[in-house]
Amino acid sequence: MTTFDSDEAAKVHRQLHHALPSDPALRVKALESLVVERGMVAPETLDAWVEAYSEHIGPKRGAEMVARSWLDPSFRARLLEDAAAVAEELGFQGHASAHLKAVENTDRIHNVVVCTLCSCYPFSILGMSPSWYKSAAYRSRIVREPRKVLAEFGVELPEGVAVRVWDSTAELRYLVVPQRPAGTEGWSLEQLTALVTRNAMIGTERDLSPYVKGAA
Amino acid sequence: MDTIHDLGGMQGFGAVEVDEPEEPFHHDWEARMWAIARNARAADWTIDWWRHIRERIAPVDYLSRPYFDSWMQTHAAGFITSGVFTLEEIVSGHTDDRRPPPPAENLAQVLARARREAHRFEAPAPAPARFAPGERVRAVSTPPLGRDHHTRLPRYVRGRTGTIHAHWGCHVFADLAARGIHEGQHVYSVRFTANALWGEEADPRDCVHLDLWESYLEPA
Repeated sequence: MTTFDSDEAAKVHRQLHHALPSDPALRVKALESLVVERGMVAPETLDAWVEAYSEHIGPKRGAEMVARSWLDPSFRARLLEDAAAVAEELGFQGHASAHLKAVENTDRIHNVVVCTLCSCYPFSILGMSPSWYKSAAYRSRIVREPRKVLAEFGVELPEGVAVRVWDSTAELRYLVVPQRPAGTEGWSLEQLTALVTRNAMIGTERDLSPYVKGAA
Repeated sequence: MDTIHDLGGMQGFGAVEVDEPEEPFHHDWEARMWAIARNARAADWTIDWWRHIRERIAPVDYLSRPYFDSWMQTHAAGFITSGVFTLEEIVSGHTDDRRPPPPAENLAQVLARARREAHRFEAPAPAPARFAPGERVRAVSTPPLGRDHHTRLPRYVRGRTGTIHAHWGCHVFADLAARGIHEGQHVYSVRFTANALWGEEADPRDCVHLDLWESYLEPA
């Protein structure tokens, strides 16, 4: 049993630092071999989890939620009221989706999400997070100079737009609902879903216009 | 604890590397580590204890090792401190205490399990909520359990004044959960203006929202 001893954990980290090989692939290979030998998991189950998060659980889920919100005002209202329940209706519930909140971009507001303390992310809705989301540069700077960071992503904010940064410090998780771009009147759910990027749902992209994206 | 993980507002890290391949995993070992973490854990871990173990990685390693390598180190240190594996077993990748594996799960079973793992963090409220939306609050300057423990109160808001934006209900309190104690505490979305956090040079149009437990806050 653990004693939840913080300094003991730090001591073990120092031992690991000296004892483990430098190559992360070798470290993880040894850990996998160990947990399999101990009977914690079958290797085929690990394969299935990799497949699940490579092919099935990913940002297309969030994109569909956003696209549906563009097409159906009542869906949009429910999404903004209780995004976790909407995710469950669509069968998208899972890791870090139980306390999901949707925050909408408007002509006056741009939302952007971070976890400054670790790397909290709505995995079940957006899949694996990009490396930059977990980087020290993003986590340190987006709360302090969001406009400079957004400019690095190519986001140019019009004069009247305020930035709202959401730091995921508890178990709430955030999904940014970007604005429906002009020029998509009459588009199908599938067409609209394809327009919505992962970065737009984190908030590091704003204009999803097909003319900007070159997708038209 | 004021360790390296508390990065909000720190300076000097340079530009964000925005150009990155779209695929979910960039190396096979990252995918394996993610899958291991979904399946292998010690029974006595809590999410916040696991986070705290990760926070105790030596600062130079925390900043320089790849992200999922920090998960490997966190799992390794967690297993060792829970008495599940020894350091020697972690290093060698082998154990004399071998046990039969559980039945293999296929993709459909794994996707069903992923849906069941939408963990909820609500907990019974010990008392009525102390604050209501619109109220002014100040974040305490010292986390409730002191500076030597896990907390989800970042340094950059301590002592700063903001406004309650929403009351999210009563959730398991992270600082205690990191010590294996499950107690409910009200949690709020608190809005801080950029000026309140960073001074006059910040853009007056902007603000930062944090989700903060009640004991992080006092009336302002």
